Amino acid sequence: MSINYPNISQTNRRKELVAGRSDSRSPMASTAETEGQKPKHRPIIRIGIFIIAHSFLVSVVCCTAGVLALLLLPVLAKKTYVSENALMPGSATPMLSDQDVSGATRFINELTSLKLKSWNMGIEIPRLIALHMSNLGGEVNYHKFQTQPNNLHPLYFFTSPDAEANIVNKTCQSYATNTVGIIRAPRGDGKEAIVLVTPYNPVNLTQNEVLSLGIAYSVFSLLTQVSWLAKDIIWLAADSQYGQYNSVAAWLRDYHTPSFGGHGKLHADNCHGTSGMHESKLDTFVETEVSDTFRRAGTMAAAFVIKVANTGEEGEQDALNIYAEASNGQMPNLDLINVVSYLAVHGQGLRVKVEKLVSLLDSKWLNFIGEMLESVGKIARSLNPQWKFGIPVQEYVEGSATLVSSLYNQAIGVPTGSHGAFRDYQVDAITLEISPKLSSSTKARQTEFLFRGGRLIEGVVRSVNNLLEKFHQSFFLYLLTASNKFISVGVYMIAFLLLVAPLPVVAASLFSDATKSKPDSQKHKSTSSEPFQSWRWLYPTKTIFLVHLWGAIVSLLPYFIYQIPDCQPTSRLLIWASLSIIILAILHSFFGPSSTHLQEWVLLKSVTVSSLFIGLCLMSVINFATAEIGALILVPMCLMIKPWKVAGKAHSAFNFLLLTIGFPGAAFFVVKGAFGVRNGSGLVEFWYWVESLWAWNSATYIYICMVHLPCWVLCICILLHSC
Amino acid sequence: MTNRNLFSRFTLTIVTAITVSLSSSFLHFSHAASSDSSSVHTNNWAVLVCTSRFWFNYRHMANTLSLYRTVKRLGIPDERIILMLADDMACNARNKYPAQVFNNENHRLNLYGDNVEVDYRGYEVTVENFLRVLTGRHENAVPRSKRLLSDEGSHILLYMTGHGGDEFLKFQDADELQSHDLADAVKQMKEKRRFKELLIMVDTCQAATLFSQLHSPGVLAIGSSMKGENSYSHHLDSDVGVSVVDRFTFYTLAFFETLNMYDNASLSSLFSSYNPNLLLSTAYYRTDLYQQQMEKVPVTNFFGSVMKTIHTGSAYRGVSGKDGNQAKFDVSSDQSYDKDAKSITTSSDAEKQVDHPETNAVKRGTCPHADLWNVIVEKVQSIKDVDSIVNYGFVGLLTLVAVSTWQSS
Repeated sequence: MSINYPNISQTNRRKELVAGRSDSRSPMASTAETEGQKPKHRPIIRIGIFIIAHSFLVSVVCCTAGVLALLLLPVLAKKTYVSENALMPGSATPMLSDQDVSGATRFINELTSLKLKSWNMGIEIPRLIALHMSNLGGEVNYHKFQTQPNNLHPLYFFTSPDAEANIVNKTCQSYATNTVGIIRAPRGDGKEAIVLVTPYNPVNLTQNEVLSLGIAYSVFSLLTQVSWLAKDIIWLAADSQYGQYNSVAAWLRDYHTPSFGGHGKLHADNCHGTSGMHESKLDTFVETEVSDTFRRAGTMAAAFVIKVANTGEEGEQDALNIYAEASNGQMPNLDLINVVSYLAVHGQGLRVKVEKLVSLLDSKWLNFIGEMLESVGKIARSLNPQWKFGIPVQEYVEGSATLVSSLYNQAIGVPTGSHGAFRDYQVDAITLEISPKLSSSTKARQTEFLFRGGRLIEGVVRSVNNLLEKFHQSFFLYLLTASNKFISVGVYMIAFLLLVAPLPVVAASLFSDATKSKPDSQKHKSTSSEPFQSWRWLYPTKTIFLVHLWGAIVSLLPYFIYQIPDCQPTSRLLIWASLSIIILAILHSFFGPSSTHLQEWVLLKSVTVSSLFIGLCLMSVINFATAEIGALILVPMCLMIKPWKVAGKAHSAFNFLLLTIGFPGAAFFVVKGAFGVRNGSGLVEFWYWVESLWAWNSATYIYICMVHLPCWVLCICILLHSC
Repeated sequence: MTNRNLFSRFTLTIVTAITVSLSSSFLHFSHAASSDSSSVHTNNWAVLVCTSRFWFNYRHMANTLSLYRTVKRLGIPDERIILMLADDMACNARNKYPAQVFNNENHRLNLYGDNVEVDYRGYEVTVENFLRVLTGRHENAVPRSKRLLSDEGSHILLYMTGHGGDEFLKFQDADELQSHDLADAVKQMKEKRRFKELLIMVDTCQAATLFSQLHSPGVLAIGSSMKGENSYSHHLDSDVGVSVVDRFTFYTLAFFETLNMYDNASLSSLFSSYNPNLLLSTAYYRTDLYQQQMEKVPVTNFFGSVMKTIHTGSAYRGVSGKDGNQAKFDVSSDQSYDKDAKSITTSSDAEKQVDHPETNAVKRGTCPHADLWNVIVEKVQSIKDVDSIVNYGFVGLLTLVAVSTWQSS
C-alpha cells in the first residue's frame, strides 16, 4: 500500500492538471478523459485507484452487505455430520445393565442418607465416593487443592495457568478435595484417557448433583467390567465448593505438572491431620486402597462434564443441553458435539438443545426478516426446484437466537462451564446437562433416568474410545445455529470481511484527499518544508500512538486498584474511570497537538481508520466473535465521524448517537438491556463483568482497552476538532 | 597360402557348426518359453491381501480371513497361501472378543483360530512388499514361506480388499497401489513365467478401475464395483461395534459355502451369483485376456487345488518311462528345488518323481545341450559294430594325415 500512495497522489494531481478541475469526486469522467494521455498503470493499480475514488459507494455497499450477510448466516448454516470415520457413534448396543443401575441407585441412597445426617459432609462424601470407586475396581486417590484468588496478573495474561500458580500459605479451611477414580484399559497401551467430570458441592449437596454422581457411578461400574477399553477412564468427582471451574482447573494443573520430590504434596500433608480423614467412621479399608499420591493416566482424548439440570423440562422428553464454549471463544472439535447429539437423539431419544437467547424468539423484526427470507426461498424454489434456499420462519428465528447466544458467549471469552478448563490444555471437552422431564420423581422414573443418562455416556465413551488420533477431522472454528446445524469459518468470515473491507479503502481515500488538498492550502508557505509534506501523516500517528499508549495504561490500572484494600466494586470502578481520565488529560497537556491545520482531522481520521483495521483483523484471528461485534459497532462510527463544525446538524447528531453506543460500557448496557439479561445494579454488574474477563484471561478485555477504547477517544477527538 | 586358406575355412566350418547348434538350441529354448500357455496346471497359489489399518476397518481383515479359510478348505495348503494383513484386529484393545475375529454377527465361526499363518503383518504390508511378492524379487534374507514360489503352470488367486478409488488401492493409509503398478507387476510375472492363470479379485470402491491397465494373457479379474460406485459393508455387529464383512465378499463366501473340493461349479456360475441389488454395486468381470470358456472352468481352478490326474498303467513304470512325466518337468530350472512342495499335492506321477534321480530327468527337459549330447550318445550307443567304427576311424585318420603332409610339402 505504501507504494500505492504516491501513485494515487500523482494520479490525482495529473487528473487536475489535465482536466483542469480541483474536484476529483467525479473520477469516472476524469479517468475517461485522461485515459489516452497518461501512461498506463498495471490493471491492479487502476482497479485500486478506481475503488479508492469511489470509497463512499464502496463503504456503503460493503457495510450493508456485511450486515446482510450476518443476517443471512442462519440460512447458510449446514447440517452437521460426523466427519471422523473412526468414531462410529451408535454402532454398538449399550451394555449398561440393571446391575449397574441398581448399584447406582444404592449409591444415590447412601449419598442422600449421608446428606441428611449432615455431619462433616466435606469429608464424608469424598470418602464415600472413594469407597465406592475402589469397590468397583478403580484406582482411587484424593486430590487436595487450594483455591486461587481470581486476581488480575497483567504480566501473565496470555501465559499458561501454571505461571501464576504462586502458592500462598493459607489456612487449611480453603482446601477442597477432589476424588479421582481411574480404570486402566485391560489391553490398552495406557497412553490415552477419557475424563468424566461430576462437579458436586460436598457442603451443600443437591439432588441434581447426587443424580449426576449416580449416572457417573453407573457408567464407571460398567466400564470396570468391559473388555473393549482402549483408553483409560478417569472419573473426577470435582469438589466445587470453591467454584466448579477452580476444582477442575486445579486438578488439571497438577495432572500436567508432575512434581518430583515432596514439594507438591507439602501443603496437602500439612492439613492432613486436621482434616480428620483418619478419624472417620467408615472402615479403614479405604485408607489402604486410597492414597494421596497423585494418579495419572495418559493424555486426555476428550472430557465430559456430566450435570443434571436444576429445573425440570416441560414436555414429553428429557432434554440434553450442550455447553461448549471455552475461554476466548475456543470451541471443542465439532465432531465431539456431533457424536453426543447423534447419540442423544438417535440412541436415547433426548431432545438436544444449545443455549439460545430466549428474548429474541418473539422479536418482531427478526420474525419479519425470517418471513422475508422464507418468501424469497419460495420464489427461488418456484423458479428452479433445485434451489434449496430459505428456511421456515420458526427455524430462522431460533437459529438466529442460538447464533446470537453463540456469538455472545464466544465474544466475551468466558467459558460456559468447567469444560473450559480442559480447553486450556487443548483437550476437547463439553458439558452435558441432562434435564429430566418435569412430570414425576418416582423411583421408577429415577431408574429410567439413570439408564438413559448412563447409556448416553456409555455410548459417547465407546465412540471416543474408538478414536485413533486426536480430534482433528472436523471444524474447530464454527458457530452453532442449532444442535445439528453449524456455520463454518469459511462462511462467517465473509460477513466480517465485508464489514472491514471499506476501512483501508476509506483510509487511502482520505489520505489522498489530504495530500491533494495540500498544494492549494500551502502555496503561500515556504517551499522548504516541501520534502516533508508526504510525512505529514506522522503527526496524527503520534496522537494515535499516545492514545493507544493510554489504552494500554488503562488496561493495567486495575492491577494497582486491586492493591487498595477493602474497596467496594463501585468505588473501584470510579477510581478506575477517574484515573484514566486524569492520565488522558496529562498526556494531552504534555503532548498536545503541535500543529493545527485545516485538514488535520482528515489525516487523523485516515490513520484512525487504518489502526482500527489492523486492530480488528488481529482480533479476528484471536477471537472472531469479538471482532465481529466490535466491527458492527466501530466500523459505522469510524466511517461516519466528522468534526461537528464541518458536518451538518443531522450528521452530527447521528455521529453523537453512534459515539454514545460505541462507548464500551454503554455498549454493554445496551446489549444487556436489549436482550433483557439484567441482574444487579448497573455499575456493580459491569465491574463484575470486567472482573470475570480478567479471571478468564479473556482477550476481549485487551481488545476493549487497546483497540475499542482508543478508537472511541479518537472519534471524540475528531468530532470536537476545531477546523 | 592355399593350405592356410583351407585351414581357416576348416575352422570357420567348425565355428559355424557350433554356432548353428547353439542357436538351434536357443531357438528350442525360446520356443519352450512361448509355448507355456500349453503347459499343464501344476499347482495353486493364493495371495490374500488386506490393505487397511485401524479398528474401524475390521471388516477388511475379516474379509481376507474368510477367504483364507475358504481357499484352505478347498485345498490350497498354507505354504501356498501368502496372507497379508495390515493390522491385527484380533489383538486390538477395542475388540470385545480378544484374539477372535468374526465375519458374522452370530459369532459362530472364529476366523482367527490356531491354524492361521499370517505371512506379512502390520507395517510389513506395503505396496513395495506386495509387488516384491508378486514379482519374486526378494532380498536374500526373506524366508521361503514369505515368497510366492509359483511356476509357469501355477494358477494364482490374488484377493485384495481395502479402501480404493479411481485406479488406486490404498495401503496402510499411507501409500497406494495404482492400476498400472498392478498391471506392470502382472506383466513381469508373465514374463518370468510365474503363473499360467491369474484371477484377481478386488473388493473395494471403484474396483473395476484397478484392472484398466492389465494386458497380460491368462488374467481374469473380478471387481466388486464399477467406476463411480462404492462397495458397501454387509452388516454391523452391534456387539463388537463395527461392520464385520463387506457385501461383495459376503456373497462370494455364501457361494463357496455350498461347495466342496469336488464340486464342478464353474466360474460363470460364480459371476452370475452376484446380484447387484444385494451388493448395492455392480460386480465387474474382465475376461478378455482369458482364453478359456468361463462355463468350462471350475472355480476350484483358482479357489481350490484340484489337479488333473494322469493315469499311468503300473506303479513303477514311471521310473523307466519318461514320456508320461515329460510335461511335469517341463519347468524352468529355478523351479527344480521346489520338489518337495510340489510332491505333497500334485498327482501321483509327481509323487513318484520324488524318488526318481532328478538330474537326468530335469536336465533332459531343460538344457538343450544336454539334449543334444543325449541324442549323440544314443546314436553312438545304437551302433553295434564298434570294431569296424574304430577301423574306419583309423583309415580316416591316415587319410587326413596323408592329405595334410601333401598340402604342407
